[in-house]
Amino acid sequence: MNIHIIGILISKDLSLFFRKRAILILTLMGFIFYLIIYFVMTVSVDENLEIGLYSPVSLPIFSQIEEEGFEISNVESEELLKEAVLDGSYVVGISIPADVTEKLGSKQKPVISLYFTPDTPQELKDAMEIVVRELAFMQTGQPLAFEVSEEILGQDLTGTPIPPRDRLRPLLAIFILMMEILGLSNLISEEIERHTARALLVTPATVTDIFIAKSIFGIGLAFIQAVLIMTIIGGMNTQPLIVLISLLLGAALATGVSFFISARARDFMSVLAWSLPVLIILIIPSFTIMFPGSVTGWIKVIPTYYLVDTVHRAVNFGSGWGDIWINLLILFGFTVVIFYAGLYMLRRKFR
Amino acid sequence: MNIRRMGVLFSKEFLYGSRSYIFVFSIVGPIIISIIISLIFGTWLVEKPELGIMDEGRSQLVSMFDGIDSMDNTEYNTITEMREAVETGAVDIGIVIPSDFDDSVLKGEKTEIKAFIWGESTAKNRGIIGVTIANTVRELAGQEAPVEIETITLGESVSIPWNDRLLPLIVLMAIFLGGIMLPSTSIAMEKEKRTIRALMVTPVSIEEIFLAKGIFGFILSFFMGILILVINKAFGTQPLLLTAVLALGAVMAAELGTLLGVYVKDFATIFTIWKSAGIILFAPAIFYMFPRIPEWVGRIFPTFYITQPIVELSQKSGGWTDIATNTFILIAIDIALIFILLFTLRRKQYTAVS
Repeated sequence: MNIHIIGILISKDLSLFFRKRAILILTLMGFIFYLIIYFVMTVSVDENLEIGLYSPVSLPIFSQIEEEGFEISNVESEELLKEAVLDGSYVVGISIPADVTEKLGSKQKPVISLYFTPDTPQELKDAMEIVVRELAFMQTGQPLAFEVSEEILGQDLTGTPIPPRDRLRPLLAIFILMMEILGLSNLISEEIERHTARALLVTPATVTDIFIAKSIFGIGLAFIQAVLIMTIIGGMNTQPLIVLISLLLGAALATGVSFFISARARDFMSVLAWSLPVLIILIIPSFTIMFPGSVTGWIKVIPTYYLVDTVHRAVNFGSGWGDIWINLLILFGFTVVIFYAGLYMLRRKFR
Repeated sequence: MNIRRMGVLFSKEFLYGSRSYIFVFSIVGPIIISIIISLIFGTWLVEKPELGIMDEGRSQLVSMFDGIDSMDNTEYNTITEMREAVETGAVDIGIVIPSDFDDSVLKGEKTEIKAFIWGESTAKNRGIIGVTIANTVRELAGQEAPVEIETITLGESVSIPWNDRLLPLIVLMAIFLGGIMLPSTSIAMEKEKRTIRALMVTPVSIEEIFLAKGIFGFILSFFMGILILVINKAFGTQPLLLTAVLALGAVMAAELGTLLGVYVKDFATIFTIWKSAGIILFAPAIFYMFPRIPEWVGRIFPTFYITQPIVELSQKSGGWTDIATNTFILIAIDIALIFILLFTLRRKQYTAVS
């Protein structure tokens, strides 16, 4: 193994990579596209439903509701209530009639008005009707015939929910890492098909030097991009060491997969054809973070699940080594197996 | 026209055309645009609260929950199964209804519901599910609501959300991007590389060559139209009728693409035409974004007769009677374009081989 030769081989790969315009444009466009997506996503979560209340008489249950998820504000007049609903300050405006107490006292049903904007979804209108009905039950002192014993599963994030934008972080990291499979596979397959790899073997470079250079180049390229995007989107703010190690293992995994693909592919189009199904499979686990509950337990057979889950838990929950060491161990195992299998396939192709 | 030769030409088109950047771009472009719009305007991320139910007996509550629109519910057979669903976030709250629940409620005896709550569930989802359960149990117990509720919608009577307004534009893009670009660029490439001359010395006719390219454009265009409607969950109540309209739209796109290919000699011209004349294709969709613009303005553009039926069927739950006139006009445009295409091809046949 000659470090000087490896350095030259890496710089050769770098210049070749940047010479391929389609790959370079895809990489740059991807990078910019991911950042655009991240920054257009909402930065906060509407934890509570904001409700406006106009009540000319005192109804303590309505104005001092302690139910989780509802935030009631008193408004001075019905006109102001309507205006506030129209300008989006409240999802619903509740208007209580002046004779509500008398009517309730004489067992008559007072009419409560709910104001909505035209674009309020029907399910929200129904939900608000149910809320008001329940408040009226409580106001009239009608007891509930049951009690609820609660158990929170997972970390209770009430008050500090994860915004959609932050849920996107693991997805972006894995997208960047996995997209690198395309670039690296193309680079290696071209070298094999054009027989430039053989030409290298007549120089002082050995097969080991070539593969070490390819591995360093592949891992480095994917890793640097992933670290860069994670830094820009704030993914390095909590547990940076865990995130870095996860990304490094992810980069090695992506490099191993690209060795496999380049051993099979002949040109850019066949690289695309082989890469797309592989990319889709490897990217699926990241959707479990974006859309929780969308997939079942089978997802754990995909190696990238352990990468996504680790990054998500470290970045969004601040989980430490004690919580995620098993994930990292499994990811390391998968990476070693895939990397060496890819290397073996590629070596066979070189011969 | 020879079917076998057409088959050979089409398979060549499929084999090589599907490798082109235009093909990939025609698929990826509309999907990415659709996803971005969904993310920005929130159709993906606005979800109803989800309730998981494990009924240990035969409680009437389960069927009562089915009729409630403010939340979705899923029934589970075991507590373990439901717990797992809560842990993964498939449901916000999972409740276990004890076997004697209904009896206890009806007798006015105190009973208990066990609730598993997903830690990441938002407070409003928990709140809505909580009051909905309480309200439904009161209903089961026969308690009568002490108030009547009147719902009043303020402002304009109809408000179209932005993701609905943008849907016609995305669908048109999906149909026309592949439908026009694929045949036209493929023909332009044959002209640039002069392979069209090579083809003309074989037994195939110029009509067969162009038709094979048009069919490939049609298939991609039709497929993308369907895909975009599926992604946006906008198939409405008449999926077959909508599919037929998409097919007619795809025919128009492929015909225009092939026609463009007849006249244009290189990629650059196609892109220039696309950039400058694309507005004519997408104008009706722009009018749908701003409903105050009078509808008659949109009728000037041929793509209006695709857009109107699609909007009517996918967003307004319309039927055949609502789209019949415009669909017949669309069929007429498609037929007219076929004749124009055949006419121009015959005129251009000599120049293609010369």
